[in-house]
Amino acid sequence: MDGHVSIEDHSVEDGSRTRNSGAAKEPRATNPSDNDPSTPMAAEGAGGPTPQPPPGRRPLTEEERAARLEQRRQRDREHMERQLEEEEELVLKYGAQHVIKLFIPVSLCMLVVVATVASVTFYSEKGIYLLYTPFHETSDSVAKNVMGAFVNAFIILALVVVLTFFLILLYKFRCYKIIHGWLIISSLLLLFFFTLLYLMELLRGYNIGLDWITVSLIVWNFGVMGMVCIHWQGPLRLQQAYLIFVASLMSLMFIKYLPEYTVWVVLAVISVWDLVAVLCPKGPLRILVETAQERNEPIFPALIYSSNILYSSLTMAESSTPSTSTTDNGGSHDGGEAVADPLQQDHHAPAPAGGVGRPTISTAPSSSRRRRSSEAEAGFGPEWEAGRQQREAARQRRVAEHGEASAPDVAGGGGAQQPQEEEDEEERGVKLGLGDFIFYSVLVGKASSYGDWNTTIACFIAILIGLCLTLIMLAIFKKALPALPISITFGLIFYFATSYFVVPFAENLASEQVFI
Amino acid sequence: MDISRMSNTKKLSLCRIYFFAGFACLPFMWAVNAIWFLREAFFKPPYPEQKQMKRYVVISGIGSLLWLVAVIAWCVVFSLKRSEWGEVADKLSFIIPKGVP
Repeated sequence: MDGHVSIEDHSVEDGSRTRNSGAAKEPRATNPSDNDPSTPMAAEGAGGPTPQPPPGRRPLTEEERAARLEQRRQRDREHMERQLEEEEELVLKYGAQHVIKLFIPVSLCMLVVVATVASVTFYSEKGIYLLYTPFHETSDSVAKNVMGAFVNAFIILALVVVLTFFLILLYKFRCYKIIHGWLIISSLLLLFFFTLLYLMELLRGYNIGLDWITVSLIVWNFGVMGMVCIHWQGPLRLQQAYLIFVASLMSLMFIKYLPEYTVWVVLAVISVWDLVAVLCPKGPLRILVETAQERNEPIFPALIYSSNILYSSLTMAESSTPSTSTTDNGGSHDGGEAVADPLQQDHHAPAPAGGVGRPTISTAPSSSRRRRSSEAEAGFGPEWEAGRQQREAARQRRVAEHGEASAPDVAGGGGAQQPQEEEDEEERGVKLGLGDFIFYSVLVGKASSYGDWNTTIACFIAILIGLCLTLIMLAIFKKALPALPISITFGLIFYFATSYFVVPFAENLASEQVFI
Repeated sequence: MDISRMSNTKKLSLCRIYFFAGFACLPFMWAVNAIWFLREAFFKPPYPEQKQMKRYVVISGIGSLLWLVAVIAWCVVFSLKRSEWGEVADKLSFIIPKGVP
């Protein structure tokens, strides 16, 4: 490459470098022919207004050369600006595509939850509660119930905070093995045990008889395939499907095992926590992100749903002991990451300052004695532990546009440009934490468990609107953002407004036969 | 994972791993193997590893189909004969449907 072009290139965004060099080649190409005494005057075709007389055969004077250089620089600059604009447009357009790409899994998750809640009564039955919510809202006075709900929610929040800090400690001290092991245990529990329960309730709900042999075959296949897809390598669609399924399982657990008012208060409290944890400078999640950035590692690819190909190992943080959800950074260094890693490393190496995958919180190891001491009813102790973890993970939500700011450094390679660009596009997927899926589905599932479809649909739309807004903010701020607050706030507002105002209103209108 | 980004040897090894893992009573794995690598093995311009991949894909596909037939047959037999078999059937049952003899 000519010396002038490369200098200019450095002053420009990397991504457009190769394109720029391609563009700059053209005016440059005329230069040698100008200077070459053997070629007939090609200078006239040198584009742009050339005030000098066509040099023809004589070499250019210094001024002419300088002026020509200036012109070329100007042209290049304009070209670069145009390309920058194009790129920005591309980014925005890309952003819209990814919003849609996130809508589908979120809606699917909610659909599964709502379908299950609507058809299988098991999940709306009250009676058995988690160990961490001692106040079961059994009193008659509303005030007492609400108080109990708040106390429950704060207990749960305290647990979540403890677990988060534990995860951060583990991560800081590079105890990747522990985190990884944790994740594996939790996903094992979730994929086998919870699936078995779910299958049992489903069959019971539809009154279908099945034998142990078939059931064990089904669960075994499903579980093993799930572990392989999530922790190792598997087809992308299948991996996404498993993540969605696992997220809906978790939501169902929450819907079932939390008392009425507690669910709503917990949702509100968790979204506030999410906001604080992600945005405050001392927030644990922020620390996590920054630590991962310092180490140039992809931030906890586990527990994150990514809409693009570059998924790494996503795991549900379900652990039988502690209830934290962990994103497994170590998992990404696992063997299965063979393809993903180099690409990701490339992207993270240059400029990880841009969007990063969201970390999810890892859970702290809770003592197994909890499990033993938990009630024997339906063995929900370990379930709850797992749920706990999930919730932790849920808290951690960050939507990030990955790799956007770190356009690949195409070192003057025009040939390598194509595949690099493709990688860039593929890398630039929006990532959403699985905890967010879970909490969105909890909200919609709980709304639907009351039987009214108006509220359900209203909450669903509210959450999608919130997600849109969050993604727009992500496109503007280009850093990790909490996805819970906006959506959950909208969802809660819509839920309470619809169920207390709109529904009676519509009913009254209908009974009076007034159509609006 | 996107197999179009992987090298051929990697693809082959992935296919092979899925194939051998499927022998542990995992017809689902075979089915996934067959579907996932179908296009790679049959509808792409030939490369050296493709021959082996074809073999794996075909055997996986046939294996999963056989398993499917067997499982369906067993389910049908069980649901029809459950009440006749009495105690054995009760021990085998995971869920006993209500209201049906």
